[in-house]
Amino acid sequence: MNNWLKPFMARIVFKKKETYDTSTYGFQLKENPDFSFLPGQFNMVGIPGVGEAPISFSSDPGEKNKFEHTIRAVGRVTQTIARYKEGDGLQIRGPYGRGWPLEDAQGKNILVVAGGIGLAPLRGFLLQVWKDRNDFGKVVILYGARTPEDLLFREELPLWRKKPNTQFLLTVDEVPPRTRWEENQGVVTTLFDRMEVSPDNTLALVCGPEIMMRFVVVGLLQRGYPASRLYLSLERRMKCGVGQCGHCQIGPKYVCRDGPVFCYREIRSFPDTLI
Amino acid sequence: MNSLLRQYTVIGPVREGREILFQPIKSPQPLQMDYVSTMAAPRKFIYPSRQLLFRFLRHPNDQLITEEILPQGQQILLGVHPCDAHAIMVLDRVFMGEFTDPYYAKKRQNTLLVVLNCQGVGRNCFCDSMGTGPFLHVWMGQDPAKGCDLELTDLGDRYLVEFFSEKAEQLFSFPLETATDEDVQLKRKKETKVKEKFIKKLNLENLPSLLLENLDHPVWSRVGEGMCLSCTNCTMVCPTCYCYNTVDRAELDLSKIERYRYWDSCQELHFAEVHGGNFRSTRGARLRQFVLHKLSYWVKQYGCFGCVGCGRCISWCPTGIDLTEIVGEIRAGRVQ
Repeated sequence: MNNWLKPFMARIVFKKKETYDTSTYGFQLKENPDFSFLPGQFNMVGIPGVGEAPISFSSDPGEKNKFEHTIRAVGRVTQTIARYKEGDGLQIRGPYGRGWPLEDAQGKNILVVAGGIGLAPLRGFLLQVWKDRNDFGKVVILYGARTPEDLLFREELPLWRKKPNTQFLLTVDEVPPRTRWEENQGVVTTLFDRMEVSPDNTLALVCGPEIMMRFVVVGLLQRGYPASRLYLSLERRMKCGVGQCGHCQIGPKYVCRDGPVFCYREIRSFPDTLI
Repeated sequence: MNSLLRQYTVIGPVREGREILFQPIKSPQPLQMDYVSTMAAPRKFIYPSRQLLFRFLRHPNDQLITEEILPQGQQILLGVHPCDAHAIMVLDRVFMGEFTDPYYAKKRQNTLLVVLNCQGVGRNCFCDSMGTGPFLHVWMGQDPAKGCDLELTDLGDRYLVEFFSEKAEQLFSFPLETATDEDVQLKRKKETKVKEKFIKKLNLENLPSLLLENLDHPVWSRVGEGMCLSCTNCTMVCPTCYCYNTVDRAELDLSKIERYRYWDSCQELHFAEVHGGNFRSTRGARLRQFVLHKLSYWVKQYGCFGCVGCGRCISWCPTGIDLTEIVGEIRAGRVQ
């Protein structure tokens, strides 16, 4: 009988500091040669004695037996992971859940709206898009962070800006004094008027803090995006990953099993969805 | 019984102070086969309230060995009323559906479920409304013949015994009399008589969607904020509650770490908390989650209600919250 709760060892092959509280960890597996995942899915990443936390994949899903997690140190588990270094092992199980609608996105324009660490689960999707660039229409990326210090994937972002048929807009909520900043300032929805894409034939993929997703959803609905083409990646407390511990329920949905990526239409009628 | 007690752990209804509880027995004497309801449901004998899942052992070379701790031993759950038997079959849908939980499955496969039809009705029982009792029947797609092993009906001076599994047939070391048509008719008569005794009722008509249409009904804040203490009694005594939390316990030198899971409750403040907020920070939202899960969402998730009408959440609520009254208030459209 397969034990879905049993973790396996994954060794950290590199650790790259993204910001003062966030790092990207690269893993390579030796014992699980067939391990693969889809962008938007997640692993339960754990340390025996401390616990486990659900963490999205942030890397290119095309690479077999290799994956990356971009982890912000905010809780007990993630703060402990932050002390781990190259060569250390973490206990991992997965992949779990349903990712971004990669198939549905074929031939359509893509609007990515990301806030803070919310860019991590979308990075794998974008890396897939860059690889098969001609399979998708226009790509518009709106990325917001709290301050310029909080931006993730800083070396990669200029490359995304140069991709063909792509618009990339950055914003930060605050600019500390004596900090050079030439992009937009304000919450991510302040970029909406500058989007060069119409709602027709466009899928919107959204991930960020709940409060940001709430305003993004309202804003995009007002701009004519139908609920059926808005996709959100949700965060919930999770203990199992397979729809049994009950923590992540939204109405009849389990975020771990039926999500974490949901079409807004699937979840909008249920209570306690967005804080 | 004595030969069974040598082969199996036998768990049955026994008296403990003023209450009847399911407990392992050493002899048949303490069995209370005429009980009405037990304080806690028998679910803990298949899905323990606290269970060791893994033992992580750190070897001197820093290698971590993971031991899977699966439950051992054969057991008989004896004298389980139809509502609680259906509740166990509800848990089967949760833990042995798309993903099989090996801990639950092992325990379940090593359990003989002996159902005892009810003779009495408690003041909070409403299994008749739900369709799970007082006698055992097919309920919402679940045939008890697939899930239970034996059905007992007290006919006064003898039991009517109905077999659902081969394992159950082997329990009897002595020959049984063949039941007559009269015996079966007597069973039906008894059932009709017990059904007349129900005081509490719940109207299921259109219930899942009715509740979804009344998310903002004032009953949630009135009862949730005004009465509920978030004590979690309802979810601890509920026979179908399955939510759990996991916790790791480590030796001081970290040489041995044990991962446990234990029952959690949607009524706890921490239950739906994440970094940066809580999806159900009010008692009203948490009470609504409990009632809607049992009577609405569950049907979408598992094809059956998550409530079997045992009435325990009503009996053990310290402030007298009654989900049948909440539903009644919503159905009446009454605003207070």
